[in-house]
Amino acid sequence: MRHPTDGTLRRLLDEPAGVADTDREHIAACPVCQCELAAAQQDAAFADAALGGVPTIDVDAEMAWSRLSDAIAVDEPRRATTVAPVRRWRTALRRPAVAGLGVAVLVAGAGVAAAMDWLPIFRTEQITPVTAPEADLVTLPDLSDFGELEVSEEVDIRPVSGVDAAEEATGLAVPMVSELPRGVTGDPTYHVGEEANALFTFSAEKTEQTAAAAGETLPPAPPELDGSRFRLTAGPGVAAVWSEGRPVPALIVARAVAPTAYSSGVPFETARDYLLSLPIVPENVASQLRGFSGDGTTLPLFMAAEELTSSATEVDGMPATVFTSRDGALAGVVWVDDGVVTAVAGSVSADEVLSVAHGLRWDR
Amino acid sequence: MVRRAGRKGGVEMSSSGRGSLRADLERIFRANYPRVVAVAARVLGSRDEAEDVAQEVFLSFARSAVPTGEAAGWLSVAAAHTALNHLRSGRRRATREEAAGKTAEVCPDVADTVVTLDERRRVRAALARLPRRQAVALVLRHSGLSYAEVAAALDMSTGSVGTTVRRAESALRKELNRHASSD
Repeated sequence: MRHPTDGTLRRLLDEPAGVADTDREHIAACPVCQCELAAAQQDAAFADAALGGVPTIDVDAEMAWSRLSDAIAVDEPRRATTVAPVRRWRTALRRPAVAGLGVAVLVAGAGVAAAMDWLPIFRTEQITPVTAPEADLVTLPDLSDFGELEVSEEVDIRPVSGVDAAEEATGLAVPMVSELPRGVTGDPTYHVGEEANALFTFSAEKTEQTAAAAGETLPPAPPELDGSRFRLTAGPGVAAVWSEGRPVPALIVARAVAPTAYSSGVPFETARDYLLSLPIVPENVASQLRGFSGDGTTLPLFMAAEELTSSATEVDGMPATVFTSRDGALAGVVWVDDGVVTAVAGSVSADEVLSVAHGLRWDR
Repeated sequence: MVRRAGRKGGVEMSSSGRGSLRADLERIFRANYPRVVAVAARVLGSRDEAEDVAQEVFLSFARSAVPTGEAAGWLSVAAAHTALNHLRSGRRRATREEAAGKTAEVCPDVADTVVTLDERRRVRAALARLPRRQAVALVLRHSGLSYAEVAAALDMSTGSVGTTVRRAESALRKELNRHASSD
């Protein structure tokens, strides 16, 4: 007979009763399996030693309970104040940028959420460029092609009077630029956006319609995916914009709380693997997304290969992505620190945006 | 004011007129708090941090409609995920704290303390590099969940739990040995 799997050998160490008699008999008589079993035992003992050593038997549940009760009491009013729908930017949020971003966050966030209610499954901690021909990026489906996208708190970008108002509105520190690139003059104007929230409900029927419209037949969706819900949030954000005397801003320094996704219970890999398996997602894009680490912390930054080139660098010790337009008219650098995306971009050179990024000051 | 509201799985929710909370929260908290801390502590190697994670997990649970019967599994998975998320976000802070010589434990031998902290740092780094599903399965298994419980919590077959845990253990050992020999 064939050797039992390494998983069966592993289980034999913990739960021998869970292993079939035939497998147990084989393993007892098979030198190859005995050898594998010994290796599994050593690795298991090693892991046990590595993960142990923190005594938690005498935790004070009483004190912890009163701490939790206090936290709930404080948190409730704060949560209640965030429900304030604004209609203006509905269209902007629906298509295509934010909805497309929603797909990106969902397929990139591979953390498993085997829970019945919202569990964070994606938290932006780094950004990685995904480069593809523009034609492929344009055909990337957006979330409303796969189900119902309901925007509960929409993007509402508005100008504010100055840096203090911007910080007050967003709770984000606004950095000061030490030295402006040559040709960029004057004072910036400040713009802020509140946190945006959207709820996405997957629909097998809608996905089928989308595929049919694209002339494709899809593999059947995993049954638990139909009707499963994902919550997406991003923001608030703030931008300082230097546009004096120009139709296009000369320089923008922007910060925003990076997108986060929550799952209502479907194992997250189920959604990601299914979406990436669909023939309507261009294969070169899907393969780059599949290559992302499985921990749900990498936000893809889609770039049209004909227009932009990108390279990796560091800002403040954080990995950063520099992008430059092929005609040299535009450059930017973007990085994530502690869940906040910061971007410096403008109609300047890559060296100039990097010099601005390195020179940002956080004190005033 | 407390009222009943029907949610999936028949979970009783109480409401104060704003957000709604579970009626079974305190009972489930008392029954599961030690295990949630233990799961997080295996990831983080620090009891203080583990208790912070447990607070976060129970706050989410308080507003959830997880059926009471599935609460234990949900809480364990949430503890593992939240702790693994903390590994990444707290990594730089932890490095700074260690560099500054701040230690949580009182240890008579300074050399031992340094070795322990260094080992924990390595274990945390290695866990952070494992595929998330493997890391969660590994931590849950080593926190005492049975194969059936891990399978139910991660929505995988019982048969694949052994394979996933085995791979995680092998990868963890390789990671730790690789870094030990390259230091």
